[in-house]
Amino acid sequence: MEFGYAILAGIIALVAAPIIVGLLSGIDRILTARLQGRVGPPFLQPFYDLFKLFGKELIVVNHFQLIWAWGFFGFSAASLVLLVVQQDILLVVFTIGFAGICLALGALSVKSPYSYLGGIRELMQMLSYEPILLASVIGIYLAKGSYMADAIFADTTPLIAQLPLVFVALLIVLTIKLRKSPFDIATSHHAHQELIKGVTTEYSGPYLALIELGHWYETMFVLTLISLFWANPIWIGILIAFVAFLSEMLIDVTWARMTWRWMLRVSWAVGLALVAINLAVLSFFER
Amino acid sequence: MTDTFLVGFLILFPFLSAFIAWLTPSHSARTGWVWITAAAMIVASVMLMISGPTTIMIENSEGLSTLIGILDLLLLVFFLYVGIQAKSLVITLLTVAQLLPFIWLEWLSGAHHEVDPTFIVDPLAIIMVLVISVVGSVICVYATRYMKEHEDHLHLQKSRRPRFMFYMIFFLGAMNGLVLANNLLWMYFFWEVTTLICYMLILHDLTPIAITNARRALWMNLIGGIAFVVALIVASTQFETLSLRELATEHTGEALLLVPIFLLGLAGFTKAAQTPFHSWLLGAMVAPTPVSALLHSSTMVKAGVYLVLRLAPGFEGTAFSALVAIFGGFVLLMTAIMAMSQSNAKKVLAYSTIGNLGLIILCAGINTPLSIAAGIMLVMFHAVSKAILFMVVGAIESKIGSRDIEDMEGLCAVNPALTGILVIGVISMLAPPFGVLVGKWAVMEAAGTTMFGSISFIVVLLLALGSAVTVVFWIKWMARVMCAMPETCECKKEKLPAAYNVSLWGLATLVCVLSVIAAPVVTGLIVPAVSSWYGTQAGITSTAGLNLDFTIGAAPIIFLSIIAFAFLLIPALVIKVKKSAVRPVYLCGENIDYAAAWHGLADGRFDLSVGGFYFTRVLGEEKMNYLAIYIGAAIITIAMAIALFL
Repeated sequence: MEFGYAILAGIIALVAAPIIVGLLSGIDRILTARLQGRVGPPFLQPFYDLFKLFGKELIVVNHFQLIWAWGFFGFSAASLVLLVVQQDILLVVFTIGFAGICLALGALSVKSPYSYLGGIRELMQMLSYEPILLASVIGIYLAKGSYMADAIFADTTPLIAQLPLVFVALLIVLTIKLRKSPFDIATSHHAHQELIKGVTTEYSGPYLALIELGHWYETMFVLTLISLFWANPIWIGILIAFVAFLSEMLIDVTWARMTWRWMLRVSWAVGLALVAINLAVLSFFER
Repeated sequence: MTDTFLVGFLILFPFLSAFIAWLTPSHSARTGWVWITAAAMIVASVMLMISGPTTIMIENSEGLSTLIGILDLLLLVFFLYVGIQAKSLVITLLTVAQLLPFIWLEWLSGAHHEVDPTFIVDPLAIIMVLVISVVGSVICVYATRYMKEHEDHLHLQKSRRPRFMFYMIFFLGAMNGLVLANNLLWMYFFWEVTTLICYMLILHDLTPIAITNARRALWMNLIGGIAFVVALIVASTQFETLSLRELATEHTGEALLLVPIFLLGLAGFTKAAQTPFHSWLLGAMVAPTPVSALLHSSTMVKAGVYLVLRLAPGFEGTAFSALVAIFGGFVLLMTAIMAMSQSNAKKVLAYSTIGNLGLIILCAGINTPLSIAAGIMLVMFHAVSKAILFMVVGAIESKIGSRDIEDMEGLCAVNPALTGILVIGVISMLAPPFGVLVGKWAVMEAAGTTMFGSISFIVVLLLALGSAVTVVFWIKWMARVMCAMPETCECKKEKLPAAYNVSLWGLATLVCVLSVIAAPVVTGLIVPAVSSWYGTQAGITSTAGLNLDFTIGAAPIIFLSIIAFAFLLIPALVIKVKKSAVRPVYLCGENIDYAAAWHGLADGRFDLSVGGFYFTRVLGEEKMNYLAIYIGAAIITIAMAIALFL
């Protein structure tokens, strides 16, 4: 992508992503509420919450957790920008991985029982989905012959036709990333947790808002990755991503939270197996 | 002319300098001499890089070769003496098994092949010399201060520091000789010198466990030595050559070539402590920390993977290559799993080192120009990062008296400078844009392009899993270090001694700068290294804007460096919290003593304590060790079968 376009695309992504994910979040909360027999909050509640948090007084435990919060925010936004300007998907996966590391380190930077356990469980979550994500990108290479995202747009064959099992495995990743049951183990998006608030227990006010914003960028990143599975025309991909998001919400209200050991087993035994089979079949036919 | 002088200087000056250091009785004079040596070595290696690739042929080297042969013989006789004195059957038998073939090869086999050229100063050798001379010299400077504190802690009557510095500095010369030599007999000599120095340095403290572990290191490396000699015999008789370059590049595809290559590879595996030979490196952690930093992470173990990388063109495109890749991937995953259960910081670093060496061997196994370039990149960046980590762990151990991760809890509030360097060290192993991660990214890209059909996804899975597990054990450690109480007091700024400041901050700065300029380093040094040995381009197109561009992918290093600078470095330096903003952690409102304890069962006082996760029930070292040894040995056996019979 040309440099001028890249800058424009990056800025648009940085501005639009929070708006889009905020709106999706609003839909999520209302639909979940209705499915649970409640009325639910106003549609724009996520934005109200965000602004309210930004306006609160700064309360911290120590300054180390703030550094890592900035790191999480910066690297999440950076990953989204890199994906939108059609850069190397593998490197982008490493970047979002480091964003997750920053979040975990922020939680682990305070001597707090809930925060610490949340941080360790965040590491277990990363251990569950990282291999799937990394192997999936190699699958994208096998399908398209390049790691750059623009190669996906250049080809008319939709990625989902070549990597259907990888797509299913990525739904597992999406569930973990969105922190939906059964994988809302380190922290959860709603107020049902067993570790107070897990990873974000010791964050409040503006820095909680910063982390929320980082999480929105992260969500946009995974949804964009899913939409790449039908890149020509892209509106089908966007539709697929939207349907995936809605189905995540459905899974969330119907499943209970499981243990991290179950998550690890399912991710590796099911997710990695699906990716491995897909890669094996694809590489066999590529010969 | 100057190139010959530089090569001679880089090999021989450390030998001379070591003797001077040994014979200097005054500690401060010796320390000053070490600083001078370090400066000289760094300057010489940079000059070698600037003067560029060349080859050096030493005319009429019969005399020198004979001298080296005699010194080799004395070395092996010394090992025999060690074995007899220790009443160790293993060491004695292994030495004899090495001595007899060596005597045959050196004096009884007849034709002594002229090796042309004697030394090859190609870009890969230049990179290795830079790593050895720069990182090694910095570690020697660190060692001057560390050993003083070490001996103070031990209340030694008679200082053993002269002896220590002798071996450390001598080692630099031996390593330089090893990586510059093209004559395999000369390389073998330097190889065995490093084995000797490794043995001498591990047993430095003369405790029973040090002596035991030194002997274990010795016999495992002797296995490698035997493999080396037998490989030389095969090369000499079957292929009439003792030139590394000729063996690796000019006989590809010939029958029986895989035999010396497998044997040399086995020597490399023992030197690099790959499974099943990994226990000697774990045991070597009882040595003083500069030894661990210099020998057992940055340089000596790199000699093993250096040799495997050199040999890679020889087994390109064979089933043997696929097996080497799987072996490397297995070591990566296995050692990452084993590191999860360790609370001894140096053992975590040791396992991580072995894993990264496995990753480099995986690069050699994938055997495309891109993967070899990734391997060289990993050699360089891992050496710097690991040196930082070992040195800072040594400094921390001096400060708190323990190398256990559990004792490092909350270190960031007590020792912010050391913690900062520790964090930089760990982040430089994990994060974009640092070199180790970029190297890992490059090898993963190369793994996708592998030509050996449907088993390439085994390599991909091993890489993906290994990569994910390494993150967990690093961050688990960081968790303990960062686990700080509420910030109610001012962090007192501790002052580090000059030697620590120079070595730690120097290498920390180096890793950051080197990572930012990784693209020019790759195109300037690494791509020529691959091209000159492989004869093909490395599939790297341009470095426009200081970003790495491959034909299949790109790394926007500058962009990521800016992000890291803006969102990690700046906040780390700038963010301060007001006392009024600090609150205790959430303990359900039952806090006692601010945040130190809480009202628990029956309103009793429970002190808040946080502990690390070590998964010892599932991932205990005993169980994992069996898996590591048996599966590792199995893969090597299969590789040997392929080498012999296919």
